[in-house]
Amino acid sequence: MFHYDAIDAAMVADRNAEFRDQVQRRLSGELSEEQFKPLRLMNGLYLQLHSYMLRVAIPYGALSSAKMRALAHVARRWDKGYGHFTTRQNIQFHWIKLSDTPDVLDYLTTAELHAIQTSGNCIRNTTSDPFAGAAAEEVDDPRVWSEVIRQWSTFHPEFTYLPRKFKIAVTASPQDRTAARAHDIGLVLRRNREGRLGFEVIVGGGMGRTPYIGATIREHLPAEHLLSYLTAILRVYNRFGRRDNLYKARIKILVASLGAAEFARQADAEWEAMDRPKVDLPDLELARIRASFGLVPFRTLPPRSERFEAARSDPAFARFARNNIVAHKVSGYGIVQVSLKGIGEVPGDCSADQMDALADLAEQYGHGEIRVTHEQNLVLPHVPLDDAPALHAGLVAVGLATPNINLVSDMIACPGLDYCALANARAIPIAQAIGQTFADPARAEAIGELKIKISGCINACGHHHVGHIGILGVDKKGEEFYQLTLGGSGAEDAAIGHVLGPALGADKVADAIDTLVEAYMAIRQPGERFLDTYRRTGVGPFKAAVYPDAHQA
Amino acid sequence: MLIRLENDHFHTVDDRFTAVGDDEALPDSDAVILSLARFEAEGTALLAAGRDVGVRVGPADRVEALVDVLPQLALVALDFPKYRDGRAYSTAVLLRDRYGFGGEVRAVGDVLVDQAWNMVRCGFDAFETTVGPNAWAAAARRYRHVYQASADNRAPAFAERATKARDPAARVG
Amino acid sequence: MSEQLKVLTANDLAGGQVVFRTETGWSDRYADALIYDDALSADAALESARAATLTLADPYLIDVAAVEGLPVPTSYRERIRALGPTIHPDMGPQAEGGVLVHALQQARGAARSSGRLGLIRRK
Ligand code: HEM
Ligand code: SF4
Repeated sequence: MFHYDAIDAAMVADRNAEFRDQVQRRLSGELSEEQFKPLRLMNGLYLQLHSYMLRVAIPYGALSSAKMRALAHVARRWDKGYGHFTTRQNIQFHWIKLSDTPDVLDYLTTAELHAIQTSGNCIRNTTSDPFAGAAAEEVDDPRVWSEVIRQWSTFHPEFTYLPRKFKIAVTASPQDRTAARAHDIGLVLRRNREGRLGFEVIVGGGMGRTPYIGATIREHLPAEHLLSYLTAILRVYNRFGRRDNLYKARIKILVASLGAAEFARQADAEWEAMDRPKVDLPDLELARIRASFGLVPFRTLPPRSERFEAARSDPAFARFARNNIVAHKVSGYGIVQVSLKGIGEVPGDCSADQMDALADLAEQYGHGEIRVTHEQNLVLPHVPLDDAPALHAGLVAVGLATPNINLVSDMIACPGLDYCALANARAIPIAQAIGQTFADPARAEAIGELKIKISGCINACGHHHVGHIGILGVDKKGEEFYQLTLGGSGAEDAAIGHVLGPALGADKVADAIDTLVEAYMAIRQPGERFLDTYRRTGVGPFKAAVYPDAHQA
Repeated sequence: MLIRLENDHFHTVDDRFTAVGDDEALPDSDAVILSLARFEAEGTALLAAGRDVGVRVGPADRVEALVDVLPQLALVALDFPKYRDGRAYSTAVLLRDRYGFGGEVRAVGDVLVDQAWNMVRCGFDAFETTVGPNAWAAAARRYRHVYQASADNRAPAFAERATKARDPAARVG
Repeated sequence: MSEQLKVLTANDLAGGQVVFRTETGWSDRYADALIYDDALSADAALESARAATLTLADPYLIDVAAVEGLPVPTSYRERIRALGPTIHPDMGPQAEGGVLVHALQQARGAARSSGRLGLIRRK
């Protein structure tokens, strides 16, 4: 696990002091709400439908048991006993008081956590691969590079008042678990033929009301030039991104209007003219950061665990093992995924007691490490297979053993109208209804991989554009309606989904998903996921199934 | 109020420049600040007459237009029409780091004390503000360390750490 | 047709909780809210709430309709805001229960523009 040094700790302490002062000035009237709002947002504090919400960053999605316990404590002491893990590797506390926030932030620093730049028109928390350090295929540890970006982007004086928010993702595996192509900048780490590390630089992805899959502007940026190249991209964006229209202010609009080639030319020109040695990170510091992640003291274990194999005779464990445990790079270990999508539960929500239990389980069985995924689940990245049965039992005891990773009930859902001031419709009850529809785990497994993503409005926080099935809440004369899209993907085969047909009433959505699934089951070929079948057949059979009365096009 | 940063010290100064609107008559003497458009029309003559001239650059203006005359300019004023418009930070960095401008870079418009550190780090050294110099200095010095290189040439954390690695007795933090 | 009924709402600045203008001050309970039946007094109340920048954030007026004798916000959003999250009936003002809370929870549909009656379907 990465740990702060004295400088990192001082940075956060100084920030907290600054924000405490700003809160004080707001409460005393020295700052107006208009002046204060961007400042509080840059410290992760929103005013939501019912109260303030504090968004705490989980850099590169990595938590220790100690950090998880700190989150549990915040949930208990200052909130209503739970938190919501988001698609952005953050956690949101929905019931925080403005007047408590400085204390909450001070408390969080004791566990090296913060809310810096989790909102506002600045560079946000960098998304990274939750399997970092555990996946066999990765070419390097993406957390190291994410930490490099965290430091560079924190209080960046030039890029604190960008046209709009800015999100970066780093992955180092061919399998993309970060939705890199849906970020403002996606960085895919690779080795070239000479074995040198470099980044494929993807720019201009994003969701919102005009979704884009990012365009590659560099196939192989030498890794040591990462910071200067990012600076060049951000400078072009800061200068020339639109500021006249909130909805056209993201970098994706600039890239689309210039064309990726012209944007790349401008970024390259800026980069060529820059004093790169001044900006780039020295090798020594890279080595220091790499070292500060430390090494996991893996044991030498046989690849086959007798205890694990014996436990498979329990059908519940066998199902959990099939769906939630994947191969680890170290022999005898597994990556255990913990679903926060219990049937009928709120996707991404976790109670303080569950957090504490996870912290204990991670300490007992998983080297004290926990990861947060952009699909709103948790991961224990380093679990000896021998311990998997005991871990499973521990998860069962706290209701966290739902065996549905990547299955139909493993949905993403944003908070929607139950919490969010911008929402058109609720998202969580829709997810709950779909969960109930597919409550039978055998059926869910028979259906196979299916990613449903739900947003309560066109801002697309729930990633609906890149759902195999996307569900978007819309407002029809004040009523909650839902528009379905098919064929999206946020992974390495990224794609934006297509609208299926007219929006449906809230009570029709779960049935429509059921109909889509049945249509797929009827026409799929062996080995095809839902997405593959859709790509092969097009929308026709699905449209006919959900809208049988519609006129033939 | 005009605050200047000189030799690491923030203090109030009298402004010897007159900001002249595009439709206003030019004063006969005095140092003046003109918009970029007006400067492009009248600036050469004024400079030739030995006047002190500053140029007010709006966020959408391209500072590249000034590159050739920069050595003759006394100051460049960068305008913040709204404090959330962050384009002037990039302009300031370019002026200092790319074009080596050594004159005054002044923040004008919606200049908020909470942005003092951004401005100082990007190379501004003069600030039109309603806040006093002590409050301004405190806000500008809020952070004891910085993570990245910028126009102020403060040593970033990685440089501090390298120093400490060479000489473990050196204090960091 | 009579004038659009209004309620004045805001968030408490320090605590963040939803509050409603009452006869005498502000309350966390929608049931206490003062119903404005003329635009002039509603707008005047909004103006004075806007001036209360030390205690309130984001004051605004919401439309309500009289349904079976009860004042019900015409939009889903405002009903949920007056109640708390629908997925957690134990959280927010709705936890207290009462006739009006029950009515708001049962309300279906919306009458944003028309003030359409029959908003509440009791099952
Ligand atoms: C306080 C509640 C929230 C507010 C006010 C909010 C606001 C927004 C807005 C306005 C956008 C559109 C940005 C644009 O298109 O320029 C957006 C996008 C997004 N938000 Fe949220 N959001 C909230 C909660 C969340 C949550 C809970 C998540 C994670 C589950 C999230 C993750 C995202 C993601 C992934 C995007 C789309 C990616 C992008 O294009 O930026 N947000 N959000
Ligand atoms: S998608 Fe819309 S409703 Fe959902 S969290 Fe984002 S802004 Fe709110």
